[in-house]
Amino acid sequence: MMEASEREVYRAAIHGDREAFEMIIRSQSRPLFAIAYGILQNREEAEDTVQDALVKAWKSRWRVRDPEKFPAWLCMIARHCARDVFRKHRTVPLSKMPEIPGSERPQTTIIDRHLDSALASLPELHRAAISLRYFEEMDYATIENRLGLTNGSLRGILGRALASMRKQLKPALASEQS
Amino acid sequence: MKIHDEIDNYLAADLHSDLSDEEQNALHAHLVECASCRQAHQESKIMNSVLEEKFANEKPDAAFEQRMLAEFRNRIPQKNGSVAKFIVDLMRLRATQVAAVAAVLLALVQVGRMITGEGAIRRNELANSVDLYQRSAATQSSNGRTEADADFKTEQRAKLAKADALQPGRELNNQKRPAKAAQFSDASIAPAAPNSVTGGVAGRMATLAPPAAQPTAEEQQSKDENELHEMASTSVPAVAAPPALANRKLIRNATVDLEIVSFDDARQKITAFANEDRGYIATTRSEKQANGKLKGQIVVKVLPENLDRFLQKLRGLGELKNQTLGTEDITKAYFDTDARLKNARVMEQRLVEMLKRKSDDINDLLQVEKELGRVREQIEQMQGELKFWDSQVQFATVTISLAEKDMEEPAKFLLKERAQLALYTPEVEKVYNDLKALASPKVQITNAQLDRDNTGRVSARVSMLIAPEESDGVISKAKAMGRVENFQVQTERVAQGGEGMSENAKTKRDKVELNISISRDEQEQAFQQTTLRVRTSAVDEKAKKLRDLAGKQGGRVRTSSFSRDPDGREYANVTLRVPMKNYNALIQSLDSLGKVENVSVQRQNRSGGQIDEANAPADLSIQVYSQGNIVSSDTGLIATLRRTISQSAGAIMWSLRMIGVAIAFLAPWVIALVGIIWLARRIRSRRS
Repeated sequence: MMEASEREVYRAAIHGDREAFEMIIRSQSRPLFAIAYGILQNREEAEDTVQDALVKAWKSRWRVRDPEKFPAWLCMIARHCARDVFRKHRTVPLSKMPEIPGSERPQTTIIDRHLDSALASLPELHRAAISLRYFEEMDYATIENRLGLTNGSLRGILGRALASMRKQLKPALASEQS
Repeated sequence: MKIHDEIDNYLAADLHSDLSDEEQNALHAHLVECASCRQAHQESKIMNSVLEEKFANEKPDAAFEQRMLAEFRNRIPQKNGSVAKFIVDLMRLRATQVAAVAAVLLALVQVGRMITGEGAIRRNELANSVDLYQRSAATQSSNGRTEADADFKTEQRAKLAKADALQPGRELNNQKRPAKAAQFSDASIAPAAPNSVTGGVAGRMATLAPPAAQPTAEEQQSKDENELHEMASTSVPAVAAPPALANRKLIRNATVDLEIVSFDDARQKITAFANEDRGYIATTRSEKQANGKLKGQIVVKVLPENLDRFLQKLRGLGELKNQTLGTEDITKAYFDTDARLKNARVMEQRLVEMLKRKSDDINDLLQVEKELGRVREQIEQMQGELKFWDSQVQFATVTISLAEKDMEEPAKFLLKERAQLALYTPEVEKVYNDLKALASPKVQITNAQLDRDNTGRVSARVSMLIAPEESDGVISKAKAMGRVENFQVQTERVAQGGEGMSENAKTKRDKVELNISISRDEQEQAFQQTTLRVRTSAVDEKAKKLRDLAGKQGGRVRTSSFSRDPDGREYANVTLRVPMKNYNALIQSLDSLGKVENVSVQRQNRSGGQIDEANAPADLSIQVYSQGNIVSSDTGLIATLRRTISQSAGAIMWSLRMIGVAIAFLAPWVIALVGIIWLARRIRSRRS
C-alpha cells in the first residue's frame, strides 16, 4: 500500500496535474532508467527510452483508473518502449557492443566484457529485474510490483539469472581472482 | 533436500538480504554441510560484488532527473490546446454529466493554479540552466569537449561528462582501472574538490615529487580538445607515482602470537628464517613455567619488503593465535625534521662566520657562542632522530610471542581428604579425653568442644588435622572408641599451577581433616523399631521374665510400667533397646512368654555413611497383657437375684408411697362426710 500523499500525487497526475507529473518524473525516472538500461545495456539509448516512455505516459495517462497501479504502469510503458528500440536498432550482437563508438568507456576490462555478454544472454525480464535491484536497491516486493510479477516469483527469477551468469562468468572470475 | 534444490534462489535472496531469519539459518546450516553449495555461495558473492561495481559505474549522474524534466518540458510544451485535451480526458473519465461539470470546474481551478505557479517554476528553471551553462563554459577550457555540437541533447551530455569530471570521488571504487590515474590529474588542477581523498593524495604527491607533478600541470594546461590526448597525459602521473611511494618513510611492525610444540625448535627455525630474509634476531626472552613449559618472546628485524614473506613462513611454525600488522607513516615528520636540520646547519654556518669576524665586545662573543651551542645541540638531536627513524624504516620489527602447547597443564595435584565420623558411646567425656590424648606433632587438634545442655545431655566435637601417613591409624583408633554411627570420607583432587588434566603431574596427599562428633548412645535414634503385644495369663511374672531375657541378650530396659483395670485385666508396658545382632534371638525367645500378637517393625534406612549395623540399636516396645475375668461382676445368677430383690423392694416401697398419697388425698373428704352423717343422725334423733 502506498502512502496517502503519494497516492494523491498519482491521482492528480492522472487528472492532468502537470506539477504532480513532474514530481513523478523526478521520483520515478531512475527506476525507469534501470529497466530500460537492463533491456538495452546502453546508457544513451536507455535515457532516450525513458524520455519516450514519459511522454507516452503523459499522453495516455487517463487510461489508468487506479492511482495505486500508476508506477507499475509507467514501468510497463518503459519496458515496451525499450523492447521496441531493442528490436529496431539491435542488429549487432551485444558482445560487440564495446566497439560501437560513444557507447561505453573504451577502457572496459575483460571481466566487464564477459559480464556484458552474460547479461545479454539473459531474458529481458531477468535483466530488468537485475538492474532494478542493483541500480535502485529496491526490495523484492517493490520490484515485483513494478514488473507486474506475482508475489514471491522474483526470488526464482533472480536466482536463475544469477546462477546462469555465474556459470558463464566462472572462468573469467577465476582469472580475476588469481 | 529442499534448500539444495533451490540453492540458486536462496543464494540470490541471501545476497539481496531478502531471506527471513529462519530461511537464513536454514541456508547457513546447509552451507556448512554441502561443499558444492558453499562453492556456489562463494562464487555468487564474488559475482555480486562485480555486478555491484559495474552498476555503480553505470548509474545515472546527479543531473539525470533535471535532464529528464527539461526534455519532457521541451517535448510537451504548455499550450492552450492542452487544456481542451484535458477537458476531453476528464469527460472520458467521468461518465455522468454532473461529474463532467465538476471536472470542468476542477480543470479551471487547476489551470488557474498552473498559470500562476508555472511562471515561478519556469523562472527558476531558466536561472538553473543558465547557471549550468556558465559552469560548463568555465570548464570547457580544461575539458574542451564540445564546441561544434549545438544540439541541445548533446550539450546536456557534455554537462554530464563535466559533472563526472567535477566529482572524482564518484569513481573511487573502481581502483583497478587506469582511470584512477586520470582522477589524480583532474583533481590536481581542480581544487574545487578539496575533501576528496584522491585530491589529497595527489596534493601530497605533488609536494613529495615536484618534478613529477610539474609536467602533469603543464600537460593539463596545454591540453587540446582531443579526448585521446587527455588519455595519454594521464599516464604521466601514473608512471611518476611509484618513485614518490618509494620515498615514503614507513615504519612497519608486526606482532605474532604462536602456539608451538617446542620452544627451542621454534627459535632455531625463526633464526633460520630471519637469515634467509636478511634479517636478524634482536632480542630473545624465555621463561620456564612451573609445569616445565617454556614461554617467551623473540624480536626479529627484517627488511620491510621481506616482511610479508617472513610472516607467511612464521605461520608454518605452529598454531597462529593472533597477528597484527601495523604501518606508521612518518614521511611528513621525517622531512620536516630534515628541513629543520638543514636550516639549523645554515644557522650554524652563519654563527661561525660571526665568530670569525672577531668582535671587540666580549658580551657579543659570549652571546654568539651560547647561541652556537644551542644550535649545535639541536642539530645533534635532529640527526639522532633521523638516524633512529632510518633504522626503524630500514628494518621492520616483528615481535613473536611463543608459548608451548598445553601451557595451562597443572604441575601437580593435591589430594585433599576430609573425613566425618560420628560416634555413640555411653561415656562421652572419656572418649573426648582419649581423643585429645591422640594429639602429637603429626596429629593436630584444631578444635575440641564439650557441650552439656540443660537436660544434662552431653555431646562433644573434635576436629583434627592428621599427616597423611598417620591418618589411617588414627582414624581406626578413633573408630574403636565407640559405636560408629556414620563415617564419610570426601576426597578432592586439586590441580596446582594450572588447570585441566595432565598425564605427567604427580599426585600428593595432603593432610587429612577429621571431624569427630561424639554423643551419648541414648540420644541415638533406633535403627529399627518394633512394637508387639504378648498375651499371657500371669502378666507380672512374665514381665519380670521378659526383663531377664532382655538382660541376657545385652538389652537394656528403658521404661517399664504395670497397670490393672477394674475388670481384672493387667498390662505391662516394657520398652527395650538391644543391639541389632541380638534382636532376632530376643524375638525368638519372646515366644516362651505367651502368644505374640500385632508385630509391627519400622526400619529407618539412614542415608550415606557406613553404619555398623550389627551394633545399631533396635528398640522394642512390648505390651504384656492378660485377658482378665471372662464374666463381669454385673452378670450371673446372684447378680440377677440381687437385682430382682432390690427391684421388687423398690416396687413395694413405691406402692406404699402411692397408698400414703391416696390416703392423704381421700382423708379430708371422709372426715367431712362422717361429720355430716353424724350431724344428720343427731338432728333426726332429737326430732324423734
